[in-house]
Amino acid sequence: MTAIAAKSGQDRWWNSRTTHRFLGHHLALLGMVMIVCLTLACVLGPHLLPYDSLYIDLRARFSPPLTGYHYLGTDPLGRDVAARLFMAGRTSLLVGFSAMLLSTLIGTFVGVIAGYRGGWIGTILMRTVDGFLSFPSIFLVLALAAALKPGPIMITVVIAASSWMEVARIVEAEVRSLREREFVQAGRMLGLSGTHIMFREILPNAIGPIIVAATLTVARAILMEAYISFLGYGIQPPLPSWGNMLNGAQQYLNSAPWLAIIPGAAITIAVTSFNFIGDGLRDAFDVRADHS
Amino acid sequence: MTKDLTTKSTYSRRDALRLMAAGSVASFVAPNLLGKPAYAQTPPTTPSGRVVVGLSQEPTVFNPLMAHIEVDDAVHFSVFDALFRIDPKGVLQPNLAAEVPSQKNGGISQDGLQWRIRLRDDVRWHDGKPFTADDVKFTLELITNPKFRAWRTGGHSLVRDIKVVSPTEITWRMESVFAPYMSFLAETFIVPKHILEKEADPNAAAFNQAPVGTGAFKWARRIAGDHIELVANTEYFGEGPYVERVVFKYIPDMTVLYTQFKSGDIDLTDQAYISADHYQEASKLPRRVVKLQPGASVESIYLNLEKPQFKDPAVRRALYAAIDRKAIIDAIYYGVGTVTETFMPQQSYYYNPDLPAQEFNLNLARKLLDEAGWLPGPDGVRGKNGVRLAFANSTTSGNNLREQVQQFLQQTFAEIGVEMTISNLPAAVMFGEFWLKSQFDSAISGVAHLIAADPDATNRLHSSAIVAKGGKGSNVGQYSNPEVDALLKKGAQTFDPEARRAIYLRVQEIVRQDLPFLPLFSATYVIGRKEGLEGSESNANTRTASWHAAGWHWKR
Amino acid sequence: MRGFLINRLCQSLVLLLIVSVIGFVVLNLIPGGPLAQFGLDPSMTQDDLNRLKEQLGLNRPLWMQYLDWAWRLVQGDWGHSFRDGASVLDVIGRHLFATLLLMGSSTIIAIAIGTWIGIRGATHRYSVFDYLATVGAMVALSIPTFWFGLVGIYVFSLQLGWLPAGNMYTIGDGSALNYMHHLILPSIVLALVHVAIWSRYMRSATLDVISQEFVKTARAKGLSERRILMKHVVGNALLPMITLAGMQLPSVLTGALVTETVFTWPGMGRLFLDSLGYSDYPVVMGLLMFSAILVVLCNLITDIVVAIIDPRIRLS
Repeated sequence: MTAIAAKSGQDRWWNSRTTHRFLGHHLALLGMVMIVCLTLACVLGPHLLPYDSLYIDLRARFSPPLTGYHYLGTDPLGRDVAARLFMAGRTSLLVGFSAMLLSTLIGTFVGVIAGYRGGWIGTILMRTVDGFLSFPSIFLVLALAAALKPGPIMITVVIAASSWMEVARIVEAEVRSLREREFVQAGRMLGLSGTHIMFREILPNAIGPIIVAATLTVARAILMEAYISFLGYGIQPPLPSWGNMLNGAQQYLNSAPWLAIIPGAAITIAVTSFNFIGDGLRDAFDVRADHS
Repeated sequence: MTKDLTTKSTYSRRDALRLMAAGSVASFVAPNLLGKPAYAQTPPTTPSGRVVVGLSQEPTVFNPLMAHIEVDDAVHFSVFDALFRIDPKGVLQPNLAAEVPSQKNGGISQDGLQWRIRLRDDVRWHDGKPFTADDVKFTLELITNPKFRAWRTGGHSLVRDIKVVSPTEITWRMESVFAPYMSFLAETFIVPKHILEKEADPNAAAFNQAPVGTGAFKWARRIAGDHIELVANTEYFGEGPYVERVVFKYIPDMTVLYTQFKSGDIDLTDQAYISADHYQEASKLPRRVVKLQPGASVESIYLNLEKPQFKDPAVRRALYAAIDRKAIIDAIYYGVGTVTETFMPQQSYYYNPDLPAQEFNLNLARKLLDEAGWLPGPDGVRGKNGVRLAFANSTTSGNNLREQVQQFLQQTFAEIGVEMTISNLPAAVMFGEFWLKSQFDSAISGVAHLIAADPDATNRLHSSAIVAKGGKGSNVGQYSNPEVDALLKKGAQTFDPEARRAIYLRVQEIVRQDLPFLPLFSATYVIGRKEGLEGSESNANTRTASWHAAGWHWKR
Repeated sequence: MRGFLINRLCQSLVLLLIVSVIGFVVLNLIPGGPLAQFGLDPSMTQDDLNRLKEQLGLNRPLWMQYLDWAWRLVQGDWGHSFRDGASVLDVIGRHLFATLLLMGSSTIIAIAIGTWIGIRGATHRYSVFDYLATVGAMVALSIPTFWFGLVGIYVFSLQLGWLPAGNMYTIGDGSALNYMHHLILPSIVLALVHVAIWSRYMRSATLDVISQEFVKTARAKGLSERRILMKHVVGNALLPMITLAGMQLPSVLTGALVTETVFTWPGMGRLFLDSLGYSDYPVVMGLLMFSAILVVLCNLITDIVVAIIDPRIRLS
């Protein structure tokens, strides 16, 4: 946030043009509100419900929504879907955020170095990025997920490994354009080290696009987790995730449609919200659309 | 369902014995007894109609001697013939052989080493060439050809000095006595010498994609990833075929498989059949006949007996007592499953019905553990001498019902102070070294112990079959009991069914006592067919519901 | 131009090399291996498994297996499936039609609807339609494809009974109409995301064109709005779409994989999952290489087309 303050100069960040523009973006605000609600529900929800997300009660299996205190019904083992949904939200959101952090770190690092150094290092790095991009990521992700022992951490790594390229590209372009600016030239003349210039001088000025890209990456990561877990290569039961709640739901589509509909709706809401926020941030930071 | 099963299991054991003894004699009189349904209608004289069989895996290996999986059997049984076949009652019937050899009729010498098979003289390959003893010799030699990617070589590797006496007679010598070889031959389909001998590389022969057999159906075509079509072999030497076409349709999703059965697109459900959760609905469908068929495999919790937690028999007994099998079968498996105490399939002649029944009793489980010195630790998990009573359980990820069983067991085990964690793997990972080299703590899987319905379970239970200890076999639980070893050895060298029965009843008794694995239930398949499709009796001694397509016909 | 072509071609080849190495290594990292399918068969002894392993050449060091595979590939031999012994190209070829059919029809849907929404959004900028289209596109981008498929099956197959729940055709009925009937739901599901992307691009592309001189001139000439749109805007805006089509290929392939799974569509996506499940290395590698080549080729053609249209690109 200091970076934003630095960019806008005299104003505090809450008075900045960026913040005002973001707040003027209705969809972004809506997304923000939804994410806050969803997060709160996932954090507090399990404590408010009378059921544990792992408690099995075979007598209550396949209760439709609104049966007693099972507001969202129960699953094939009689576990409360609402409780599982919230617990699953914790996993999915956490995996989404962690994957975003990891991929943003990797992407920023690669992007800054490639953009600042340029030359053959830059070429190699950016060709590698192209390589990863020109590849249906799901093929690689599934192969990787099959190779590694499935678990939340592994899934996070696998997702991050498949989504750092976007950030790298954006950062590289931004850094390349900033490289020749006066303040960088000045730093070089002062004899500052390359690392210092790259990460202390240039990077803060590229923070806008990075935040936008990061927000969109969260959305992508949540979707990716859902795909992998749906196909059975992701997070394993009993730990619930939105994706693995859907795995197997197709089997009960006719008899217990809520098992498929509810987690999918949660995913859609979460991902839409992040996309809304990302869109709002993009407008706020005035990032050119062709970057993403 | 219980009703249906009881009728199946009340099948008299004495009858079976009589049949087995008389099998070879009877076959002289009525060589085409095989699988003829008791309710047989007069089948049509010329083949007519089409039967569409649904399979949830795709048959891809059409050379029956090459390494293949269960689902490929559906095609092999229809296109090819073996020397013998095993009928639904577990009795060997002559197929390409004119009689089933035995020590009584002189086909097998008294020491069990000299074998003589007499063959039919009226069999022709689909291309019109006559079938002779040379084809049998070629087949047996191809299996042990080191360059050929053969399926099992067990038994075949003992065969020596194959001699073609005449076109209808072949003899060989066995390196050592091996009674199960009889049954193995019932799953060894004979391939044509005149086609395959020309091939430089039998692994890449054109034959492997368009097989030529002697069976009731000829290969028509395959649309890969979709279906395989066979047409009636009107020159077939045996009974049938009565339908003109058989289509094996590959439907990779069990729900869709069922939907297509419901809608009538599929006439018969084969491998992996109708899923348990559709059983109730399926049995009420109009104009569909849905039956439960116990299979050969036993759904069990496999314990790696070399893990310190499982070395103590008291732990195994306690865990067994803590399994609510009724809830698992009735609720999770929708009643599709039969309680069992042994690895032997219930329809086998060698099944031991007098084993002590498991009782679900958590207090008993706690008591057993207390007495054995496994006491609760500060975290509620029991332990003894520094070993925590905690273990991981693995099964194939994506198998929803098994995953549900796991989570259910996790909860009950926790109640007796046992911590079970779940660590599932994709099938291709699970059944590799993880399984074969005993790298798991415990695993849930459906495992068949018998090969070709022969009661010999050496590969699963003999201590020489532990791969992790340098053995060769698939005793993945690392079970080792000298008495069982001795009995299994004796059983494999005994030809007389009655004598063998006594041996294997005792094996089951000891195994029930030792509990190297905890049986949940014997796998039961929901087989559905369209009303009017006659002659499709199921046969638990084979791995496919299409074991005898020759007898299928549509009711007129 | 020639230098540019050679340069791009070399880069593509290096890319394919990287892809193949990564793919090969990752695949061989998967424990279990192709023989795991026999793990439950009581009759396959360890001897049998070892023998098969040797016969398939799987006991050699990894680098040797890779070089062997790569050398054959360069010579045009993609290897043979471990499962049915058929050549990998044959196996892919058999599944190609289904995937192309699905991708093709969904792309047509996506382009048709996306173009319409995009142009209308641009010409009626800030209207309710434009606003809804914007929001709708963002929601569409956020829906998990497979879930949309499930909901589609639930509504149109299970509840209404209008459309089949899966498969490419009914057995015994191979008529075009039957194919079409089965095609509707999966292709709409697969198209959803791409409708969103196309419509966004189309909108901004149309806006770019509208603001340009020649359109103003045309308008000044008194041509009707519709004719201007058809003649200039669509024609000009469709050019950048070539790039987009190339860029979207990987994501269409990903979507196809998921859609094929939900609808049991006998295409390459399902082949990939099946083959991965059996660790059928040659087929999995074949599919990886096939899709990588497809994507690289697509990018290359896009680059060339763009380079021909706009020579300045070549310099940068």
